[in-house]
Amino acid sequence: MTKITIIAALIAATGFAGAAKADKLDDIISSGTLRCAVVLDFPPMGMRDANNEPIGFDVDYCKDLAKVLGVEAEIVETPFPERIPALMSGRVDVGVASTSDTLERAKTVGFSIPYFAFEMVVTANDKSGITSFESMKGHTVGAVAGTFEGIALEKQVKAWGEGEYRPYQTQADVFLALSQGQLDATVSTSTVAMASVNSGKFDGISVVGKAPFDTDYVALFASRNEYGLINYLNLFVNQQIRSGRYAELYKKWVGGTLPSLTVPNAYR
Amino acid sequence: MFGYTFQWNQALARLPKMLDGAVVTMEVAVLSMLIGILCAILLTLLRLSGSRSLRAVATGWVEVARNTPALFQIYMAHFGIASFGIHLSPFVSLLIGITFNNAGYLAENFRGALKAIPDTQIRAGRSLGMSQTQAFRYIIVPQMLRISFLPMTNQMVWAVLMTSLGVTVGLNSDLYGVTQDLNALTFRTFELFAIAAVIFYIITKIITLSARLIAARLFRY
Amino acid sequence: MFDTALSSADLIFLAKGAGMTIVVTAISVAIGTVLGIVFGVIRVQLGTVYAAPLTFFLDIFRSVPLLIQLVLANAFMGMVLRLQFSGLTVACMVLSLYTAAYCAEIVRGGIDAVPTTTRRAARSLGMTWGQDMRHIVLPLATRVALPSWIGLALGVMKDSALVYVVQVTELLKSTQILITRLQEPMFLLLICGVFYFVISFPLARFGGYLEKRWSND
Repeated sequence: MTKITIIAALIAATGFAGAAKADKLDDIISSGTLRCAVVLDFPPMGMRDANNEPIGFDVDYCKDLAKVLGVEAEIVETPFPERIPALMSGRVDVGVASTSDTLERAKTVGFSIPYFAFEMVVTANDKSGITSFESMKGHTVGAVAGTFEGIALEKQVKAWGEGEYRPYQTQADVFLALSQGQLDATVSTSTVAMASVNSGKFDGISVVGKAPFDTDYVALFASRNEYGLINYLNLFVNQQIRSGRYAELYKKWVGGTLPSLTVPNAYR
Repeated sequence: MFGYTFQWNQALARLPKMLDGAVVTMEVAVLSMLIGILCAILLTLLRLSGSRSLRAVATGWVEVARNTPALFQIYMAHFGIASFGIHLSPFVSLLIGITFNNAGYLAENFRGALKAIPDTQIRAGRSLGMSQTQAFRYIIVPQMLRISFLPMTNQMVWAVLMTSLGVTVGLNSDLYGVTQDLNALTFRTFELFAIAAVIFYIITKIITLSARLIAARLFRY
Repeated sequence: MFDTALSSADLIFLAKGAGMTIVVTAISVAIGTVLGIVFGVIRVQLGTVYAAPLTFFLDIFRSVPLLIQLVLANAFMGMVLRLQFSGLTVACMVLSLYTAAYCAEIVRGGIDAVPTTTRRAARSLGMTWGQDMRHIVLPLATRVALPSWIGLALGVMKDSALVYVVQVTELLKSTQILITRLQEPMFLLLICGVFYFVISFPLARFGGYLEKRWSND
């Protein structure tokens, strides 16, 4: 094992000798490309247009970041469960992937300050008779595996002690299962729920009310020890709000009342 | 020196949950094999039958099972069947998907095995006063299962490995599903999946070893 | 059912995915077969005891779900070794070893199927080991191994549907991307299934035909 370790270290040393002192921020600037992990089945944050090119709030946000860095943006599609592995394996530089900044995850990756905040809503199949969050009790409900709302909903179903929770791999599968009647209801971000219901592609589902989960603050993420990059991301998020670009993008992709990104009575 | 610090104890603390998942994985695999063998015997019979349409159905099943990805079959077993208004739980969907696959491959093995059994044996059985069914039940099937014992063991191993595809139809109580959920919670990807890999390895070893023991007991002559 | 929003651009997108499936399969089967033959011959030559470490190593690829192999290899290369491999590279590396593990078994079975007496006869006629392998074992073993090998290659093509976990957009993944946008799951999945079937079925039949033909004489 030690031999392999030494060989691996030698490879690593020769491979990155030139970049030994440069940090990730320098690397991005000198490489000329910013690779962003974006989830593309999460409208309106990430989706594809008629030519199957990536579009959405997160895509624009990544492009803005690339622009201020003076580099090209490269969108790397990552399903929800693969976001962090993609970063950890060096396939992307930052995540602009609507990622909730939980303390458990912060043990592994470094988060910026929040750049977006989601409200959670309940979307139900019209035949299920579900009219509110509480009336989901005892029904078959589901959400996307490993997301903020998925984890919270699974906990709630366990607390109710009846009904069933099913995690699907993608947001599209959740709404497909919901419109097929395999699920009676789902909890998702209000933005994706509205986008899906309004798309007219799913019959017989509607948004029936809010879910009493905490506001889901989402942040950009990068490697935990890249302080230079994380500092830059923090300033970038702040500047997006100051310059009015945040409001502009919100109007373009989401519409309605701009969510506040600050937590009352807290410094950050 | 690596850009990564291993945190094995964080992952190992979740081992009991993963072992619970391994039990569900075994349930799916064993059930899918038992039902799969029955379906495969039925398919073998149908392929021998005089009815052209029955033969076509059986052949269609076998060829689709053998010529499309298992992931595709499992996805169809959940979302495909549901578009006809039939709703199955993720567990049942996965079970049906794997059973469909198992039956297809096993039926093909059985057909090969059948060729190795001389026709004269059936005639001998008949002349001893057995009915066609009895001859098939008591003479052909036991030999067929014996000849296909090794392929059946391999199929059982595959069934275990295929359970990892259950996550695509919303199952999270099997070993892979549990591991993925824990990964979403903690992001300790490498440690968690390495443990899952070891558990899968041990399960498959137990299967092949016990198959060898069973074979040694059953088939000594 | 055929009232679809599928555009010609989408068909090209699907065709690209299908192309990726074929590329991944071709590379992996090619490398995997060469490795498999080498490993298979080594195993036969060394005998059970000395080949045990190799047998154990190859056995891992047949005993752990491919999905986990891909996730682990990806995490190990990137997170632990910090090597900047593309998803395609990782996918081909894992699938090649996966192919090699099964191929080694097939090769070993093929060689074992050549009667020892035939090989001894060859050697006593003055053939070297190399000549024996080339003129006696190769033609006879190929008859046994080729049909299984065709089955293996098709199996790898079907299993390549799992490389989506390392961000390779192959056929099934591109189908899922279109499903997300168009919401026509059954129609799109059927197209995808038909594609696999159209490639796999004739080749599988051909393998069966060879098996039958070669086992008769």
